[in-house]
Amino acid sequence: MGPLIPTGIVGMEWDLFFAFFIGIAFGYVLEQAGFSSSRKLAGVFYGYDFVVLRVFFTAAITAMTGLLLMNHLGMIDISLVYINPTFLWSAIVGGAIMGVGFILGGFCPGTSVTAAAIGKIDAWAFLLGIAIGILIFGEAYPMFEALYYGSSLGPILVFESLGISAGWFAFILIAVALAAFGITAAIEQKVNKENALEDTKGMSYTLPVSVALLVGVMLIFIPYDRLTSINELPKSTFNEVVASNKHYITPDEVAYKLIYDYHPIVLVDVRSTADFNDFTLPGSINIPAEQIASRVWEKQLSNKEQKVVLYSNGTVLAEKAWMMAVRLGYENVYVLKGGLNGFFDNLVNNPKPNTYKMEANSAYAFRERVRKIFKEGKADLVTKKQSTAPTVSPKSEVKVASRGGC
Amino acid sequence: METKSKYLNPYIAGVLLGLVLLGAIYISGRGLGASGAFKDVVTATLSKVAPDHVAETPYWASRVSQSEHPLKSWLALEVLGVLIGGFISGAISGRLKITVDKGPRITSATRIVFAILGGILFGLGAQLGRGCTSGAALSGMAVLSSAGFITMMAIFGTGYLVAYFFRKLWI
Repeated sequence: MGPLIPTGIVGMEWDLFFAFFIGIAFGYVLEQAGFSSSRKLAGVFYGYDFVVLRVFFTAAITAMTGLLLMNHLGMIDISLVYINPTFLWSAIVGGAIMGVGFILGGFCPGTSVTAAAIGKIDAWAFLLGIAIGILIFGEAYPMFEALYYGSSLGPILVFESLGISAGWFAFILIAVALAAFGITAAIEQKVNKENALEDTKGMSYTLPVSVALLVGVMLIFIPYDRLTSINELPKSTFNEVVASNKHYITPDEVAYKLIYDYHPIVLVDVRSTADFNDFTLPGSINIPAEQIASRVWEKQLSNKEQKVVLYSNGTVLAEKAWMMAVRLGYENVYVLKGGLNGFFDNLVNNPKPNTYKMEANSAYAFRERVRKIFKEGKADLVTKKQSTAPTVSPKSEVKVASRGGC
Repeated sequence: METKSKYLNPYIAGVLLGLVLLGAIYISGRGLGASGAFKDVVTATLSKVAPDHVAETPYWASRVSQSEHPLKSWLALEVLGVLIGGFISGAISGRLKITVDKGPRITSATRIVFAILGGILFGLGAQLGRGCTSGAALSGMAVLSSAGFITMMAIFGTGYLVAYFFRKLWI
């Protein structure tokens, strides 16, 4: 079941290798289609050449149809496929800026690379421009930040937004595309009297159009179930687990296990990778909350012998990740009570007990000891020596899921 | 005009491109892209040229803090592939030629200036829109994300809105 690399069928070390060869195929097809010519590309806006529309829509529909079929046939786990998240206004404003850039520059980034490859100087100029544009964005980022993160709608799907089924949406898209192909062909013939439809001549379109329509009709009847290889916990069981409220683990327990290794635990930092790199508890692995469902983490999260403890700065993010993990059927997962803040608060604000109760006094002494270890920065040494933490290198593994977009 | 060598039928090219995209999704669980690779290049260059500045600018810092080199990324290698794939295609079809592609009514210098301007806008817009025509629009549409369709309509809609004012560049 695909996708091959995120599900672990093909090893992560092959990811970049495939990226390179997919890129070669991508570049080859773009160039063969004539996307290395800015004049051809710009034609779509002036009616003398609609190659962009033809290639772009045919490609989107082909891939979409293939994905819907693969999903239906259980060949791919869509929950592991990157779905571009929707940030409404940044998508609209960003798209509008790109639209103007397209008219002025005559390229989009991918096409300019193929054009540069065959020696177009204007494409090199365009590439230089892209770098400058990115630089400007990075430098002026605080100015864009509100827009960039505003109006976040998550990875929503277009047919759900429109309130229709995936199949109907696919059918409508195919029908609209076919109509657009016909209309634009007529326009091109009017505008470009000399060499209109040069690339599309020489074959009959009756069969392809019929096949496309037939596929479209077939798609209407194909349900869009998100097949997933992860088994979901039934709702009632899930509610029970949540209601029982036994999923907290105290900072003392975590500290104890960090210092002594009699009962090792799996510490999972669910904050972002950047935060993780900044600071984390010794021996932790990093699984950003939004990736908890990814199957690459199955081995770490389904540890039966050691408690799997999730934590974030507070508890909100960790709770979220925990709920997700429980719904996915992981059983031995806990949340660090109070999060990282609570953990250190517990150590720093350690009131000396005024009772003579033995537990209270030994807890105090223990916290003092842990505090000392953390303060002197020896926690790392203590835990590393014992090497109780699972030795995984999660950073390279998460890249697939976390890095999407263009 | 260099239309000596015929281009591939666009519908066939479209199907092939769709299959490449589907292959990327099936293998790596993600679509194609382009502009992200340039971000990696810019980040890598900046952190060589001005490491202090990178460290104190949040946008760059968050990108270099990951221990991997910025260029050892999926998109950077994919775009390297695009460059090579484009070159192979151009070589096979006899289109390798140092030239400036432009409309009939402008000079090469004008074309270069506007190409840079267009690139700047595209670079900036692709950051804001979380991807360009390939990563946000095409790949987004293939996985049926709303963002893909919104970005696509915004790019082409705006293109048509402003096309008239810049017609001299192309026709």
